[in-house]
Amino acid sequence: MALDFSLTDEQKQLQQLARRFAREQVAPVAAENDEKARVPWELVEQLYEIGLLNISVPEEAGGLGLGLVEEAIIGEELGWADMGFYTIPMASELGITPLLIAANDEQKKRFLKPLTERPSLASFALSEPGNGSDAAALRTRAVRDGDEYVITGTKMWISNGKEADFNVVFATFDPALRHKGVIAIVVENDREGVSFNKIHGKMGQRAAPTYEIIYDDVRVPLENRLGEEGAGFKIAMLTLDKTRIPVAAGSVGVARRALEESAKYSLEREAFGKPIADLQAIQFKLANMKIGLETARIYTYYAAWLADRGDPAHISASAVAKAYASEIAFEAANEAIQVLGGYGYVNDFPVEKLLRDVKLNQIYEGTNEIQRVIIARDILKALR
Amino acid sequence: MKYVAIIRQVPDGESKIKVDGGKVSLEGATLILDQMDEYAVEQIIRLKEAAGGEAVVVAFGPERTEEAMRTALAMGADRGVLITAEGYVDPITQAAALAKVLAEEAPDVVFSGGQQADWDSQALGPAVAEALGWPSVTWTTAFELDGASAKATHDLDEGAEVVKVALPAIFTAQQGLNEPRYPTLPGIMKAKKKEIKKIDAAELGVSASKVEILEQQIMELERQGKIIDGSKEPAAAAAELIRLLHEEAKVL
Repeated sequence: MALDFSLTDEQKQLQQLARRFAREQVAPVAAENDEKARVPWELVEQLYEIGLLNISVPEEAGGLGLGLVEEAIIGEELGWADMGFYTIPMASELGITPLLIAANDEQKKRFLKPLTERPSLASFALSEPGNGSDAAALRTRAVRDGDEYVITGTKMWISNGKEADFNVVFATFDPALRHKGVIAIVVENDREGVSFNKIHGKMGQRAAPTYEIIYDDVRVPLENRLGEEGAGFKIAMLTLDKTRIPVAAGSVGVARRALEESAKYSLEREAFGKPIADLQAIQFKLANMKIGLETARIYTYYAAWLADRGDPAHISASAVAKAYASEIAFEAANEAIQVLGGYGYVNDFPVEKLLRDVKLNQIYEGTNEIQRVIIARDILKALR
Repeated sequence: MKYVAIIRQVPDGESKIKVDGGKVSLEGATLILDQMDEYAVEQIIRLKEAAGGEAVVVAFGPERTEEAMRTALAMGADRGVLITAEGYVDPITQAAALAKVLAEEAPDVVFSGGQQADWDSQALGPAVAEALGWPSVTWTTAFELDGASAKATHDLDEGAEVVKVALPAIFTAQQGLNEPRYPTLPGIMKAKKKEIKKIDAAELGVSASKVEILEQQIMELERQGKIIDGSKEPAAAAAELIRLLHEEAKVL
């Protein structure tokens, strides 16, 4: 009888709050923010006011210290309203998580406490122009000089980036050591030698800012390094093992929206003298969306539950959740366009945006191919 | 000073409501704090923030009303008193029970929503005032404490009037009174620890409802779809169309 899928009363209230905020504040402006590629800072501020921003900051640093189940609840609701907007708080959690894993108390107070005192964001800088999936091949250099590191290199596809207070930068002090030569270091955005280029022309998630960041001889004190010298790669992987769960949760929100929009339209639109909802071809699409949605949701919450319990099974489970949820969501968005036909293909209706947005969920925080590498490694590890 | 908001839990406006066996079924409906009552809750929290004192939410309703009460506590109210009774109870009977609790709480200012979102009733606030012998001001759009009295603006059919009322008094909220805040996540976590005192309605000597609902129906709106044949005598058809728009539809 130990299985119990229910949320606590507070989690239900959180869900109600996030759902209401998503419906009343985020959804009505989603199309406009997408079209104008506009970062909705006023929504970030509101998110801060109601306490839904940076929720994982621990209590000792002035935060709520909440876990991935709570983040998944928020992710589903905001993903339903605008996946592009949700990427902003989600990427901030991605920037916070390395500190939860490896920061000492002084660093938590110095970097995380300010995130609870005003609307502000963190950011995570791992990918580079020449490396993504092969993260250990990073080329950004961290050269030790007395009690400082001098950081030089370029980071690419960084969500939040310039909009954040700081980036957790992964850099190598010895490329020959591959992943053992990496450090994780907090680099404040106002340090001398840091510059940003906003990335334009994105297919979707256009409310979320994405940057190229250039570090040109940026001097950063040793006290900003997280964990030991050489622990950076491990910190990055431990981070992503957790933070791909919110990507799954946002995808679940997209899938739910796709199903809702499809079902609603199918009852309103008539063909051959009856609502298209009466046609089995449409019913099968709705049913398939539902099968994907329900299984992805329950598995996403399962992965979040494992991670919050500190169960190492979350490493594989979060990869399964991320790959699966983003794929069923992509499929649901694709089928939603088909259900709406021509209306689905134009931006007067919200479904074409779902497809453009959720494509990114198959790519960022580890491509779905990398998720499969993680899953396969876990299968084979037990047998070798 | 002490401020009270009387609240109710109602179905979310987006919920699909069904009638099942002549009775409204709330099964599957999302139930929320009545949005008209949110103005009342917001007002008592603002009064407390500005002048100190205590902001208390009071409700009469089924056990599940506690969820709506937690929302009010998450917005910032201090504690709650819930008079529990399952099933329909008319507003006069509810008011008799609420009056007993309010007489004991002895607040200075009581707010409630001007109109209930589910059955559109406007009776509860004035009925509670009647039971207590306190003045009531309905459809309040502006409110200001003024010593032992309050100055309030309330809507009339054709305008508004500003009144000065001796406290304690009951005010029902109208849209525009304030902009209700969202609950906050820290507020939700704190609300868990705030007190909700539950009192069985029977303990307050409330006898059965004076009104029993025998059957409920949902209004069905149907288009009449009147078509005037204009193919033979277009001039006469046009005249008939204008007559109908003028006399029946009353849009011209």
